[in-house]
Amino acid sequence: MLFAHLSDIHLGFQKHESLQRIEQQVFEKSMDECISRKVDFVLIPGDLFHVNIPEMRVQKFAFAKFRQVHDAGIPIYVVYGSHDFSPVSNSVIDLLAEVGYITKVTRATSNEDDTISLDFLVDEKTGAKIAGLSGLKVGKDREWYEKLDRNSLEAEPGFKIFLFHGGVSEMKADSGMDGDHMPLSLLPKGFAYYAGGHMHKFNHQSFDSHPNVVYPGTPFAGYHADLEDNANGQKRGFVLVEFDDVVKSVEFVEIPNTSYEIIEVNADNRKSDSINQELVEKSKDIDPANKVIIIKVKGELTSGKTADVDISGIREELNSRNAMFINVSKNGLTSKEYSITEAKGANKEEIETNVFSENIGQLRFDHPELLGDEGVKLAKKLLRELGQPVLVNEKRNEYTPRVRDNALAILGLDKDDS
Amino acid sequence: MDEISIVGQVVGGSFGDIVIRQKAGTNLEIGDLMVSEENGSFLILQVFALEYGSQIQDKMQQMMSGVNLEQGIVDVNFYEPEFVNYVLARIKPLARVYRENNDVKIPKSLPSFFNKLRLIDKDDLKFLQKEKESIFVGHIRSGSKIIKEAEVWLPAEDVFSHHVLIPATTGRGKSNLVKTILWHLLDANKVGALVLDAHDEYYGRTGPGLKDHSKAKDNLVYYTPSHPPVGANRLTINLESIRPDHFEGIIELSDPQLAAMRMAFRKNPRGWISDLMKTSAVDAGMEPGGRAEFAAATLMVVQRKLRLILSLDVDEEQVIVSRHEVFDSTTRGLNTVDDIVRDIEQGKVVVLDTSRLGDEAELIVGNIIASKLLQKYKDAKATGELDRKPVATIVIEEAPRVIGEDVLKSRNDNIYATIAKEGRKFKVGLTAITQLSSVIPKTILANMNTKIILGNEMKQEREAIIASASQDLSEDDKNIASLDKGEAIISSIFVPFAMPIKVPLFEDIVKSKGSSPQPGKTKVF
Repeated sequence: MLFAHLSDIHLGFQKHESLQRIEQQVFEKSMDECISRKVDFVLIPGDLFHVNIPEMRVQKFAFAKFRQVHDAGIPIYVVYGSHDFSPVSNSVIDLLAEVGYITKVTRATSNEDDTISLDFLVDEKTGAKIAGLSGLKVGKDREWYEKLDRNSLEAEPGFKIFLFHGGVSEMKADSGMDGDHMPLSLLPKGFAYYAGGHMHKFNHQSFDSHPNVVYPGTPFAGYHADLEDNANGQKRGFVLVEFDDVVKSVEFVEIPNTSYEIIEVNADNRKSDSINQELVEKSKDIDPANKVIIIKVKGELTSGKTADVDISGIREELNSRNAMFINVSKNGLTSKEYSITEAKGANKEEIETNVFSENIGQLRFDHPELLGDEGVKLAKKLLRELGQPVLVNEKRNEYTPRVRDNALAILGLDKDDS
Repeated sequence: MDEISIVGQVVGGSFGDIVIRQKAGTNLEIGDLMVSEENGSFLILQVFALEYGSQIQDKMQQMMSGVNLEQGIVDVNFYEPEFVNYVLARIKPLARVYRENNDVKIPKSLPSFFNKLRLIDKDDLKFLQKEKESIFVGHIRSGSKIIKEAEVWLPAEDVFSHHVLIPATTGRGKSNLVKTILWHLLDANKVGALVLDAHDEYYGRTGPGLKDHSKAKDNLVYYTPSHPPVGANRLTINLESIRPDHFEGIIELSDPQLAAMRMAFRKNPRGWISDLMKTSAVDAGMEPGGRAEFAAATLMVVQRKLRLILSLDVDEEQVIVSRHEVFDSTTRGLNTVDDIVRDIEQGKVVVLDTSRLGDEAELIVGNIIASKLLQKYKDAKATGELDRKPVATIVIEEAPRVIGEDVLKSRNDNIYATIAKEGRKFKVGLTAITQLSSVIPKTILANMNTKIILGNEMKQEREAIIASASQDLSEDDKNIASLDKGEAIISSIFVPFAMPIKVPLFEDIVKSKGSSPQPGKTKVF
């Protein structure tokens, strides 16, 4: 018997047309592979979609493909992920479940003593018993695991699979994911297979009492950092598991996505001019045609602003040579001359004030109204204005000029000023 | 003053050694606290010695005893015995408290001659106000009497950044005290703690423990090497986290051995231990021009030390495995150290179950984490962000293993000694527990500004503690010797006088303040 395990597909994440195409292709290829390999069922533990209700384009191709899988007689078992969950069952996941293309696994009962019982779902064809819990953002689902009635889950005989969406501390391979992971001990013991979602790289490990804890990783990309990992050779795909009474094998099936080039520049103790120069030189050395290009600048400049590192020229040049998509990462770029220090406060308002107050001293302007307490007040006003939400029934082409004009008014400028 | 409450009267002595006559029918104890009422203030005094006094000369008393013992006369009584024979107590002033504003000052004068004294009560201790972000250590104790209404709270941030020493011999309530302190750290996120728990006794795997605190889910993190209980983490540290300098000051390494380790680290910072373990000593060439014979011998010793200390083996697939599963050479535990440091930086209490590790391995694990923590705090100071970080403390048992005189003389400084000497500047402190204060250098002892002294039978140890205390305890030798289980004296720059306390039983704290399940239902999506 055979099942497939995919996760973190993040359909609808990509905004660039060429990447949207790849996102769709990878998903469809994965599903086709499941059909051609005649898997008995498919597990998707969360983040199938990037948001709970993605755009219609995404829904259309997802429905079409899931229908094919359904017509091939392959059930798909899912739990919500931190991206596509809805507390009121208002997710495209629920729509797919309603029409019968997929099955939601979470069958939880909240008991009076504040414990949570989970029922198993039994796969008709194989008899595999499947239970699972959805994932919430920033580890808020941890409470469910702490209250889980594990005894009944652990006492259940047979071939058992547990679906979950969350990082496991013991399997973290990267730093980051702060507060977004939980100890393995929170998962019920003694299942044959733990189908994980949320961690974006393939990882398969076994522990005493928790054998076969597996993350297939994202098949393409769900965060911008995934593209960088892809460029650095990270294999993407899904997992096929052969089993009878026990797991016999766990195979990673690679699904190729596209070609990449990466341009990395270390900015430590350098000025922006030399970095711009290096970027130009390095971009000449690559063939960008039909590839995703990752430009990564990281380090601390000796002087100047981070904005002085100019990517726009290189971007144009690479686009002129038919680059498919250019992803720029300057998050790790700072400057000795000007770097934002964090500040604490009792509330959001206080934090904003403290951050501005602590950092405004670094600025050098000829306009006194931009400095000191006046500058802090101005910055807070501007921040508030730029954070204005879209009004009900307001169109984007109305929203943007409204916010822009209000922001300019705060600065005492007109949009025709230059 | 109520005549019934009077326990004695000042009859002589000098400052710091006042003699009082005990009132008949009362029963003064070593350590008893007394009050002498003055104008607008009162003195708190403490008994440090007791002796007999009598209006009859010694020789006469001895003769009367002879008559009683040898001639069998049974009906011998003293005439007005309570007047003729009595107890003299030697007392010392601890503090002067001004009634108007509850101000506490160090006393500089004697109580009035012939002044009558009474035992202290809760109303005299109103100055013991709980301030914000304090930790509870116990109740004021007068002799063996506990004044339940007088709770002693210490300013958490000050105390832990200025280091804490807990000198105690076995069986005097050390674990109970540490658990009590940690329990109160869990109340807030003002102090982060790394606890190297060599006996796996603090978390409470099998009985009451820190896990029972109502905020344990948020503020307590527990790491254990095997079968972690629900919600706990597996203690796995990847060998990549270890650097050669983590061994310095912990184990004895000759210069060539250290050089061999450093060279391996330089060649392969991530896999240097695996490389060293898997290298054939005979084939090893140190560097061009290096002496192979020397390298082979050195390498063999280094391999043996690594194997023994870290419990490492090479399996048949040439993978380095750790017998107690704490160290991993593959992909596990790569972020454990970072996670632990981050938790401490968030003011959490991190308990590491090191019961399966050998002495040195435990210290190395602590060293890896403490080094990273101190570095982070140093960086925070450099960037002006230190004020926003909670104080961090490293709780370590058998402290002389790392800050003992012989260790520091024979080896380089280790991280614990560094923290003891300079950690205060960076808000990182030590909470050192020891049976042997006398082997810790005076410079380090003097830096430990809070000492919670539990009972100690060994005179040499008492002398070392007394010599380095923040208050004058020169007359407290007998007092310390007679401390019963759970009784302690707090000597600290953060308390107005050396405070005698009774630490409550941890189990009682758990019973009264532990978390209880909240009835209700949790919504699951």
